[in-house]
Amino acid sequence: MLKMIRSEWIKIRRSVVWLLSGVSPIIALAIGTFGYRPKGGFPWEEMLSLLSALHAMLFLPLLAGVYAALLCRYEHAAGGWKQMLAMPVSRTQVYFAKFVILMLLLAVTQALLLIVLLIIGATHGIGSPIPWGTLFASFAGGWLACLPLAALQLFVSVAFQSFAAPLAVNVILTIPNVLVVNSERFGPYYPWAQPMLAMLPRTDYGFGAFHLSMETLAAVVLGSFCVFFAAGWAYFTNKPV
Amino acid sequence: MSNQAWILETRGLTKRLGGKNVVNEVNLAIGKGEIYGFLGPNGAGKTTTIRMLLGLAKPTKGSVHLFGRDIRKERIPILRKVGSLVEYPSYYGHLTAKENLEVVRRLLGVPRSRIDDVLSVVRLTKEADRAVKGYSLGMKQRLGIATALLGQPELLVLDEPTNGLDPAGIQEIRELIKSLPATQGVTILISSHLLSEVEQMATRVGIIDKGNLIYQDGIRMLRERAKSRIRFGVSEPEAAWRLLLSHGYEAAWDRHQLTVERADDRTVAAIVTQLVRQNHQVYRVEEETASLERIFLEMTGTEGSL
Ligand SMILES: Nc1ncnc2c1ncn2[C@@H]1O[C@H](COP(=O)(O)OP(=O)(O)O)[C@@H](O)[C@H]1O
Ligand SMILES: [Mg+2]
Repeated sequence: MLKMIRSEWIKIRRSVVWLLSGVSPIIALAIGTFGYRPKGGFPWEEMLSLLSALHAMLFLPLLAGVYAALLCRYEHAAGGWKQMLAMPVSRTQVYFAKFVILMLLLAVTQALLLIVLLIIGATHGIGSPIPWGTLFASFAGGWLACLPLAALQLFVSVAFQSFAAPLAVNVILTIPNVLVVNSERFGPYYPWAQPMLAMLPRTDYGFGAFHLSMETLAAVVLGSFCVFFAAGWAYFTNKPV
Repeated sequence: MSNQAWILETRGLTKRLGGKNVVNEVNLAIGKGEIYGFLGPNGAGKTTTIRMLLGLAKPTKGSVHLFGRDIRKERIPILRKVGSLVEYPSYYGHLTAKENLEVVRRLLGVPRSRIDDVLSVVRLTKEADRAVKGYSLGMKQRLGIATALLGQPELLVLDEPTNGLDPAGIQEIRELIKSLPATQGVTILISSHLLSEVEQMATRVGIIDKGNLIYQDGIRMLRERAKSRIRFGVSEPEAAWRLLLSHGYEAAWDRHQLTVERADDRTVAAIVTQLVRQNHQVYRVEEETASLERIFLEMTGTEGSL
């Protein structure tokens, strides 16, 4: 498994994915620099909701799909699957390695945004102590909430030769976030809305889904992750190449 | 138990695709150290067979044994000893040749020095640090062969390694492959849609057509099947042709030359006598040995499409 990941690493080391991971943090940098208006007693939390709103609602779910499509693109393009699967490795190893790399890229994206948040906080001279626990829960939560999205997008990206098809699926599933996130009825159960529900600070009462318990949200994330991942994995192990 | 003498053996190997058997009851047998030419016109089922040999696709029916082991049960230990290039070379365009080989090397766990070894075998050492997307097709094919050699395989499976190359590129790849069993100690399965391409290097051939293996034996046996025919140069060939037909000879006239199939000495003598008696002037009587290519074309009935 480790050798598989080390092999994958060579492929993405000098790839365009790294540029993409910077897009959302740079936009957040602009929003934070020009859009921050201190209101009350929780400046870090306010900054967090300001920076993570667009990121968690759109960019993060979209990136999960774009990364997945890119990780599969160079395999579809010139016979990479065929070459890899004729090697002494199991298909399970190949699929798991792709998933691990995908989650790693999302973690890098989250880390970059966290760094941006800390920089902006410092430049605005926020004096109150940094609420590490809240920030960590928010960024790690948003990352974990991407598990089902990443699983489905990897499945779709492995299945379709074309680069555009998985991205179309991704956009179609992410767009409803804008509506669903305010809905008490659907929001909590829609996997694509989970990164947002997980990232925004819980002191922010603007959204309908927030009265739900952490346990319910975790169950939705884990449940959909298991279904999507198992489906993609089973598909890949039987795919003729 | 499978026969230990064969490095590769299939029994009743069948693949059903789109409602028909594109590989039908194929029994391949390849011995150690052989260069096995796997021949067939385009669409005959070569690539489909090779995919099943490597465990890339599952057979509808039948079995594949490599090194006496079943590919379904022991895929990973088997593939450790197999190097392959299927249909067209695989590569990552944004990486250099060295990085492409490193991707595979990390999977195989062979020493780093193997990369330089195989690069020099396929003579890509000088180009090794260039991105592969700028390579010519011939260089990509060579990189594909280098990749296949990386793990020091006992069996090398090359699917149409010269496809799409110009004559010089074909010649280069052919020389390279011919030199391998001696220098690398491998058994080679090489597929092609041209007999002439593998003729000089293959020790055995299998011919597949429309999914059926229609011939499998040494290349010498195939040559012996080369039927000779006699060509007659006469003053009025068309009239001579009618005459020979009326006497029951297997004569053929294609508006250029008059030929008779399967004629022994006595028959030739009799034909010449007949012709002279009817006042034909006989200029030439020549024996024409059928080329292997013609036999191949006759067997597969694809003269037009090649
Ligand atoms: N997925 C598929 N569905 C239906 N038919 C297929 C499929 N793949 C290949 N074939 C058919 O199987 C036959 C054998 O193909 P192939 O093994 O690629 O031939 P070769 O490598 O000898 O040129 C062809 O007629 C091809 O059209
Ligand atoms: Mg083919």
